[in-house]
This record gives sequence, C-alpha cells and structure tokens, in this order.
Amino acid sequence: MTLLEVSDLTVTYRSRSGDVPAVRGVSLSVERGGSLGLAGESGCGKSTIAGAILRLLPPGTGVTGDILLDGDDVLAMNPGQLRAVRWTKTAIVFQGALHALNPVQRIARQISEPMLLHQTQPTKRSAATRVHELLEQVGLPPDRAGAYPHQLSGGQRQRVLIAMALACDPDLLIADEPTTALDVMVQAQVLQLLGSLRVERGLSMIFITHDLSVLTDVCDHLAVMYAGRIVEEGPSGTVFTDPQHPYTGALAAAFPTIGDPASRMRPAGLGGDPPDPAHLPTGCPFHPRCPVAEDRCATTDVRLTPIGGGIGGGLGADADGVRDRLAACVLVGST
Amino acid sequence: MNTVVTVDDAHVRFGDAEAVDGVSLEVHAGEVLALVGESGSGKTTLVRAIQGIQSLSGGSIEVGKQRDVQMVFQDPTGALNPRHTIYEIVAEGLRIRRERADEKAKVATALSRAGLRPPERFMGLYPHEISGGQRQRVVIAGAMVMEPKVLLADEPVASLDASIRGEILALMRELVDESGLAIVAVTHDLGLAWNIADRIAVMYLGRIVEIGDTEEVLGGPQHPYTRALLSVVPEIDRMEPQVLTGEPPDPRKIPSGCRFHPRCPLVASGEAERLGILERCRGTDVALRVVSPTGSHHVACHAVDRSAT
Repeated sequence: MTLLEVSDLTVTYRSRSGDVPAVRGVSLSVERGGSLGLAGESGCGKSTIAGAILRLLPPGTGVTGDILLDGDDVLAMNPGQLRAVRWTKTAIVFQGALHALNPVQRIARQISEPMLLHQTQPTKRSAATRVHELLEQVGLPPDRAGAYPHQLSGGQRQRVLIAMALACDPDLLIADEPTTALDVMVQAQVLQLLGSLRVERGLSMIFITHDLSVLTDVCDHLAVMYAGRIVEEGPSGTVFTDPQHPYTGALAAAFPTIGDPASRMRPAGLGGDPPDPAHLPTGCPFHPRCPVAEDRCATTDVRLTPIGGGIGGGLGADADGVRDRLAACVLVGST
Repeated sequence: MNTVVTVDDAHVRFGDAEAVDGVSLEVHAGEVLALVGESGSGKTTLVRAIQGIQSLSGGSIEVGKQRDVQMVFQDPTGALNPRHTIYEIVAEGLRIRRERADEKAKVATALSRAGLRPPERFMGLYPHEISGGQRQRVVIAGAMVMEPKVLLADEPVASLDASIRGEILALMRELVDESGLAIVAVTHDLGLAWNIADRIAVMYLGRIVEIGDTEEVLGGPQHPYTRALLSVVPEIDRMEPQVLTGEPPDPRKIPSGCRFHPRCPLVASGEAERLGILERCRGTDVALRVVSPTGSHHVACHAVDRSAT
C-alpha cells in the first residue's frame, strides 16, 4: 500500500535575482513499511523535497505537482489540517542536532511538547511516561530526561531528535542527513535503531544523504538526484553495485569498498561543482562534468526512462520481468 | 627510511583527563599515515601536539623546525577569508614570517602544486569565485607554500561533497609521491585510509591499539576494536556488524586493565573467559606487540598475545 505519492513535484525559490528552480519534476512513492533513500550533492534539491512534503518551505516558494500523504493532498490542506498531519503522520529528523534543540529546555519537555500539542497524550503525566518509553526505545537512559541538550553528546542529541520525531507515532519518518556529523560507531548505532524501528513498528522512511553507501544499508529503494531531478532509481543494492547513470557511478566510486584492489591508492572523484540551479547547463545538466558525455548530451534534455535491453541485456527487469530501474541518460542502453 | 616525526611516549593531560596516554610513533618521509578513532580517542590532541600548539605533560615529540609541520583544516569555506584574494590567502604564511623574498614565485609554485594551474589565473580571484574542490586546494596551497616536510590534515574531506572527495584525496597522494612529503590524516573514515594511506594507526582512549600497513590492518584486523570499526562501514557484502553499545569513551574515566574491555565484544560474548584471559583483560594493562613477520603490524590485545604464545 502506498503511503506517500509525490507526482511531478516542482519547487521554485523566489530570490531577488530571479527564480531558482530547486526541484524540477520529481515523482516518487513510499510504500507502508518501505524506505526510500534520496542521494545527491549539496544543492541537488533533496532537502527541498523533504521541506515540500510537510510544507515547511519559505512563504512565497512556488510548489506545483501533487503530494498525496495517505491519500490526502498535502498541497491543498488548510493550516489546521496541516498541523494535524505534522508530527502525527509525518515527522522530520533534521541534521545538526545541536541547533534543532532548544538549549534552555530540558529534553523531556521538548520531547513531550508535540504530544501535548497534538493531544496524543491527554495529560502531562501520561506524556512523561511516554517520554521514558521513547528514551528507552532510542537507547538513552531514562534518567537523562532531565538533562539539557549541552549535557548530552552528539549521538545522544541525535537520538533525542529521533525520540521527538517518534513521539506522536508517525507513519512516515523523514531523516535528513541524520548521521553526517556523527562518529562511525554512533552512526552505526543510529542506523541500527532506525532499522529496528522499521521492523518493529512498520515505520516508513525517507532517508536523505550524500553518502550512497549508508543508503544501501538502510533503504530498499534508492533515488539519485542531480540538479533538481532524479537521474537514477531502483532497488538500493543494484543501484549501488551496478550504477547505470555516470553520475551514480561517480558517487558510488567516491566511497571505496575496503579490500577492493581497484580502489587501493586510487581515490575516485568527479571534477567540478554541481551546477547553480539558477543557471543550469543546456541539454543534460550533468554533461559538463560527465566523463563519457558526447556532443548530443549538450543539446538533448533527458528524462527518467526504464533501463532495459542495451548494454546489460535484461538489466532493470526482476525475476517477474518487472522493470524497476530507471535512469536519465541518453547513453544508457543505447550502445 | 627518513623519519620526519618521532613521537616518544607522549602524554597530554587536561585536568583529570588523560587525552593522550603514552603514544609512540614515527612518521616517514613519503608516506600517508591515517590516524583513526572515535571522538575522545585523542587523535586530534596528538596531532595538535605534533604541530606544536599543544604542550606535552610527558614524553617527547621531534619534528625538526616548526615550519616543517603545516596544518590543513577541514571546511575550506570557513578557513578562507572571503575578502582576501587567493594570492593573499596563500601568501599569508610567508607574510606572517616576514619572508618577502620571491613571494610571488613561491605562491605560484604552491598553487601549481595544489593543482591550480596556471597559477596566474587563480591569484586575483576571491574564494566565492572558485568551486568547492578548488577552495580546498587553496587551503592545501596555503600550507604547501611553507614547503613543509609534514602536512597534518584533520578530516580533510569530511565536509566535502562525495564527488570532490576523490579529487582532494588524489591530490594528497600526488603530493606525497612527487616530493617525499609526509601526511598525517586524522579521520574516522576507513575508506579514506584504504584510498590513500600507506599505514594506519587506530587510537582508542589516548593509546594506539593497532598500527601497521593499511593492507595488514584493514585486510586482517587483529584488535577487536579495529574489527568492530571495520564491521560497521556501510557496504553491501560485509561482516556481521558489531555495533558497540554505549557512548564514546571518556578520557576522564579510563578503565582498569585493557581500556577497551568494558566495550569489548570478546569480553561481552564470553570468548575472553573461554580463552582464560578475562582476568587479565579486566586487571592488566596491555602494550602494543608485533604480530606480523615483517615487524610492521602491532596490536595491543590480551587475546592476540595469548594466541601468539
């Protein structure tokens, strides 16, 4: 069953120097209990999508397309309906846990705030009980409830944010770079926690990061974004191990497989910067950085299409012949 | 081998915290040494001591002249003054030391070595006029202008986008291969070590617990801590992840015996007891010992000591 269905979403920021198209026609869906990974560099539009789903973007931002959350049109909701959906249906864990928490409030109060606001817990006492449950669930000793954010480590603060996001029992959790600032072992703890929440509670997740290897670990479906569009998507394992779009290939190669002789003493990268959304290149927006670009790439815009035939023969088709891999590159499948 | 840094039983104490607790280490010309570990492992403190901006409470560090050691910080955007041109930024180290002779030639050489060619094209630009990867190259050029023997890099690519990461790592390797520069890279990224490091030293609570050639340490990790770190690197086909519970260790409360024993999977699983070493794990401190025939791979673990005898 589909929990979230985003169709042809565009987001345009208004700035003094003109319109900036940050998201340019993105469609994606998340099944109940499913998890989707959104990967890409700074400025590719991945965090903007998260903001659009809960309508957290600055006033005046142009948003078109459809966002259906459990069948309800998020873009048509009035403020009251929207408030009811935030936290209870969908919650976001932002990056930078230190800045997202109020420094002068004890964490128990911050975690209970959405519950009292949305009356998912009738009394302060029941909310306090729930706070203890949540702290335990995210692996924090309940006696930390009275602590202030500065008394906690980075990993603990990130877990407080996850506890807050879970407070009203949402169906969908959006995690925006939830582990980027954390140590490896703490990152592993947080990822393990999110994974077990999916299993135990049937939580659906959207996971946003630039580290493709993290996504393959926690997500079953992966979408790679470039310049406001999805350029490749499919089951996470195959997208990472067998990337079809040259950009996905570059992202995957940036995080080497330890022990693989091919990457030993050979760091792989991609020159240049992602394009400025206000001044996108013609044709395929990736062509100026693309290692295999041809002349036609500079003139032919390209949309996401199913991968099949071509190079890998039956690529993109699963055992039942369902094509579940898509890529936006004129060179894929054309040789 | 030409040794450019010699650390001998270094100790750094902050109040009641033993941040670096007896580290000995040599860095050779022409090598990249990766220093890995969690927050609180003492890796950043050790590097600050090598740089000479952190005094030791015991032991010694020899580095030749102070200018032979230069630091490259993470986050190029924060490290560059937006109102200065690339030329002024790179020349700053020379100007602080009042080395005005051949300034322009030295800046040009440094830019060129950092891959910003032709250097004249970049000198008059401001940081916002160049790409993220180029900004990180400017930071490296600012260090290279002093013609150091050792470059200390604290998480050199952690704040960079995935695609830029490889470009900067390739540059670091190139500098080492071409000129005999040594780089000490502080990181928690084992992929970085695999990509560019000749050797890797794993730190835990102020000590090196495993050190050796990168292939040895990452290909055949012996210390349970190294194995745990390696097991949680997100990859498709990998070992069963051993997620250590609990918070990063606290240098104000260093456990007795082997300092890793409260989080050690061998202790938790009962393996240490089966091997008959549990008492030693809890009560006896353990030093680095050679485990490879070549003499390059060292591990500090009672379980490894036991299987060796």
